[in-house]
Amino acid sequence: MSYQWLTLWGYVPEFFQAAWLTLQITLLAFCVAQILGLLTALAGASHLAPLRVVARSYIELIRNTPVLLQIFIVFFGLPSLGLNLSAYTAGVIALGVNVGAYMAEVFRAGIQSVPRGQIEAAGILGLGRAQIFIEVVLPQAARAVYPAIVNNLIQLLLGTSLLSAIALPELTGTATVINARTLLYIQTFSITLIAYLVLSNCLSWIAEQIGARVFQPPLMLKQHTRKRLLLIPRQANRN
Amino acid sequence: MSTELLTTSLSILLHGLVATLLLSAASIVGGTLIGLLAAVLRSFGPWGSARVAKLYTELFRGTPVLITLMFIYFGVSYFGYAIDVFAAGVVGLSVYQGAYIAEVFRSGIEAVPEGQWEVSQILGLGKTQTFFSVVLPQTGKIVLPPLIGQYLSLIKDTSIVSMIGLSELMHGGQAIVDRVGKPVEIYGLVAVLYFVVCFPLSQWVRHHDRRSLLS
Repeated sequence: MSYQWLTLWGYVPEFFQAAWLTLQITLLAFCVAQILGLLTALAGASHLAPLRVVARSYIELIRNTPVLLQIFIVFFGLPSLGLNLSAYTAGVIALGVNVGAYMAEVFRAGIQSVPRGQIEAAGILGLGRAQIFIEVVLPQAARAVYPAIVNNLIQLLLGTSLLSAIALPELTGTATVINARTLLYIQTFSITLIAYLVLSNCLSWIAEQIGARVFQPPLMLKQHTRKRLLLIPRQANRN
Repeated sequence: MSTELLTTSLSILLHGLVATLLLSAASIVGGTLIGLLAAVLRSFGPWGSARVAKLYTELFRGTPVLITLMFIYFGVSYFGYAIDVFAAGVVGLSVYQGAYIAEVFRSGIEAVPEGQWEVSQILGLGKTQTFFSVVLPQTGKIVLPPLIGQYLSLIKDTSIVSMIGLSELMHGGQAIVDRVGKPVEIYGLVAVLYFVVCFPLSQWVRHHDRRSLLS
């Protein structure tokens, strides 16, 4: 048994490289998703009907089809339309576009969670539209939405495993290759499992630290997610 | 795309869709049972079992479903047994989604006010009786929308079972593209079929569950 683990010792650098690639793609796709999500949420709240239709169709189309299919469409479908992408770029785009649709819904809910009365009061106090959005709505919406954003980041991290289907050597892809080479199923996948656990827990720990420092009053993520149904007050959604 | 290709593709894809729906149904049943058990153990179980239930949810919520599936599919054969891909898919998806479903149930159980437990106790109801006749009926109403939302993501996750070789909808699409090309058309068709299944569910969830978005 122990010599089998020793065989895998030689693959440790590859695992580290793969973990780094996984993290890179996660963070890049997360940035894409934030931008797309915010734009879509704004478009969804626009006065212009066509913008609203585009935003809504994008959200529904993405949320009702599997992410693996979206990855395949970007990686195998776009080249036939004359757009060749590397697995890396295709992965970032597909995951970013996917999570962007979920982020749009989260942002929309966050903006709606700020009571209308505050916006009206701020207007009466003489604040401009932009000022109201930046100084009144955004800080409160950001606090309400933060746990959901972190949740989506973790889902994104786990979603990168699907990029092994387009032969990207991230954690899962590397694991399948090493598995095929060594045939040490249990050991290889145990290491991969632990790598994902470490990555996802590190990311949520960092997010928790940020939440506790940035928001006033400090946002305790663990507690928040534990009592989420209780904590989101009914009043917030009445408007 | 010629009509002939369209009809043959559609017949292959519809067969795949049946497999996808069967896999979804079986996993929904399994996942709900496991999730309910884990939630109850975590909230009311004796010390040891609550710990195990917590470890279970944390473990599967922090790892990708693909790894779970590979673990089960390859792991069983490692010990010298053979497992059917469909069975591996059902077990993997049930165990994986069970962890998320457990969290849905737990938040529902915790949403029932503490005072009701105390009142039931004063009225002479036992713990088990309180749970089944006071807490669970109320929980059902609270958790239904997020639960359906979780089923929705389970249905989409069945596409991942194609990666260990189950011929369901996604796999059918891949097989056709491997044979004749035309990825945009074929995968578009696959997307339409998934959409037809998922859209009504997601609309229902959107209509009934305005709160869960921020969870």
